[in-house]
Amino acid sequence: MASSSSSGLTFKLHPLVIVNISDHYTRVKSQMNSHPLTSTSTTVNGVEHQQQAPRVYGCVIGIQSGRTVEIFNSFELLYDPSTNSLDRTFLEKKQELYKKVFPHFYILGCPLYVLLNPTINPAQKDLPVTIYESELHIIDGIPQLIFVRSSYTIETVEAERISVDHVAHLKPSDGGSAATQLAAHLTSIHSAIKMLNSRIRVLHHYLVGMQKGDIPCENSLLRQVSSLLRRLPAIESEKFQDDFLMEYNDTLLISYLAMFTNCSSTMNELVDKFNTAYDRHSRRGGRTAFI
Amino acid sequence: MRSLNEFNCNNWKSKFYFIFLLRSLSRYDQKTQLRGVNSMEGLVTQIQGLSGTDSDVLSLQNLLKQADDSLHAESTRLLPFLDQLDPAKHSLGYLYFLEAFTAGPVTNEHASSSVLMIARFISSCVAEQIRLAPDKFISVCKRFKDQVLLLEEPLRGVAPMLTAIRKLQSSSEHLTALHPEFLLLCLLSKCYKTGLSILEEDIFEVDQPRDLFLFCYYGGMISIGHKRFRKALELLHNVVTAPMPTINAIAVEAFKKYILVSLIHNGQFPTNLPKYASSVAQRNLKNLCQPYIELANSYSNGKIADLETYVEANKDKFESDNNLGLVKQAVSSMYKRNIQRLTQTYLTLSLQDIANRVQLNSPKEAEMHVLQMIKDGEIYATINQKDGMVRFLEDPEQYKTCEMIERIDSSIQRLMTVSKKLNVMDELMSCDPLYLAKAGRERQRFDFDDFDNVPQRYNI
Repeated sequence: MASSSSSGLTFKLHPLVIVNISDHYTRVKSQMNSHPLTSTSTTVNGVEHQQQAPRVYGCVIGIQSGRTVEIFNSFELLYDPSTNSLDRTFLEKKQELYKKVFPHFYILGCPLYVLLNPTINPAQKDLPVTIYESELHIIDGIPQLIFVRSSYTIETVEAERISVDHVAHLKPSDGGSAATQLAAHLTSIHSAIKMLNSRIRVLHHYLVGMQKGDIPCENSLLRQVSSLLRRLPAIESEKFQDDFLMEYNDTLLISYLAMFTNCSSTMNELVDKFNTAYDRHSRRGGRTAFI
Repeated sequence: MRSLNEFNCNNWKSKFYFIFLLRSLSRYDQKTQLRGVNSMEGLVTQIQGLSGTDSDVLSLQNLLKQADDSLHAESTRLLPFLDQLDPAKHSLGYLYFLEAFTAGPVTNEHASSSVLMIARFISSCVAEQIRLAPDKFISVCKRFKDQVLLLEEPLRGVAPMLTAIRKLQSSSEHLTALHPEFLLLCLLSKCYKTGLSILEEDIFEVDQPRDLFLFCYYGGMISIGHKRFRKALELLHNVVTAPMPTINAIAVEAFKKYILVSLIHNGQFPTNLPKYASSVAQRNLKNLCQPYIELANSYSNGKIADLETYVEANKDKFESDNNLGLVKQAVSSMYKRNIQRLTQTYLTLSLQDIANRVQLNSPKEAEMHVLQMIKDGEIYATINQKDGMVRFLEDPEQYKTCEMIERIDSSIQRLMTVSKKLNVMDELMSCDPLYLAKAGRERQRFDFDDFDNVPQRYNI
């Protein structure tokens, strides 16, 4: 395959496609783990995966307006390994369905090929998605259609962003379930502070030991500690103190308010339950929401 | 009927039988008297022997429970035995004896010595032992209070009663039956400060509802006496909104004071009780305190003259409830309210203007009022004495000091403990069978779109 495209087409990829592909692959892979089958591999107008891993196939659909190709969605295709072909009826049925929902889209077929690499490479910063388009090139004197890699940009709609964000955080982390961004952020800060605290404690213990005479005095270390200490405090001015305290107060007030609300709602439920249970003439007929 | 006929017929037989019975009874009585004294001595030795370890004390308690009736029978003769026991070491035994001894009627001469004895016992007894027989301890202390009141020296009872409370309480959050007695003594002896100290504690456990009602009512009165109107409002609010299956007199009296205190402190009276007040209270309290409700209404109109005429007209009613002093305070607080209302409209105002608007007699009076309010922290203002102008200021609190941080932090901590307790209570409530029965009934009626089988009754 050639190195870069020269056709001048710009591609816009929606994250939904990527999510769809990865989802399909994960599903197939987990299903394969439950029933051990030989891994298949074939190519199709859709997704291709590495050897030994299952390959899944699908179709991309979108809009082509002028030189811009926008890939909105994708759907899976049923692959029959025995005949080495795709299920045609399924393809047609799906195409019809999607046509009803998105009348503007049509299958971006021949000139396009999206590839997703499911092996996770932590060093790599970009997405392991590449788009290839077919071009007519002359190789060894014979005009051939080959796939040429082209660049693309990711484009999202607001609704997509929310769902992708949600999916991205759904994977279970090893510690607790830090489902929200704020909790994850605070947990990381907490662990950082804990680490800092333990390190300082080690240093302190060491210095106390040196003072008592248990450990021989090491001047270079002492110099390093004293230079570290001299770097604090970073800012010392009245204006900073003022602003800092004000912000501290604001944060405390907000958590106070949150606790208050929490407490009030518990109290409200408790009072409702109490009235239902013990008050002889409590008003009936109101649908109260209790669980 | 037949037996009576038989009785008449066999008159001489029955007479003989009757005489025989009498004689045997008298012999029995003599025997019991003798046995009584002997058993007392035996009991005393047992108390002295078994007051060492905890297990001994428990077996002693069983013995004492069985001997309780005989103790009561001998109540007048227990004094010498009391001297043989040491209240510090033999607290439980001493308690039983003391309770039986004080059960009989007490005259004035005996009251003084008895008061001394009980006070000494309270100060020296051991808390763990007396907690094994809380009812006896409570009745002893109540009789102590009665005797102290009989002698008309309530001050003598204040300190011992406080010690008694501390020894009886299982924790500082526990409200015992002695709390209201203590507050009553504080009220009668005008010893408000000691009473205030016990009011500061948060209460989470109550033995009897009546204790809570009385405690909060007396506590409210003490706080009013000390001009701590916020605390008084909180305590009276507790009485008025406490769960009550039927209306009780304490709540009615407390409601009257509640209206007055809320006028003094807040300048307004909420017309509806909150939803956590019992439905009985919500329906009936207002009807029973009609003159006070009308006072509150006329207060909200803002005209001092109308208020004063209303107070004059209903003076007797207020006086009979012993609330006239509070009513007068409420009237004078009207001036404060009006001045506060001025701060919302004006930035600066002359003292003469203030006097006119608030219907005070002279600018000097207005200045005094404003000064007092500034001192109490009710408004923020500066008085320029040269031209007699008052400038109203904003709350100068900037919320950027360390003290404020500490205050908020401690509030958050308190809130967290309360929240934990509330969650525990909520869970307990959700498992309460009474609640589940009623909740199950209501739920069944309204779950139309919920097609799973909702149980009709929770049979527990």
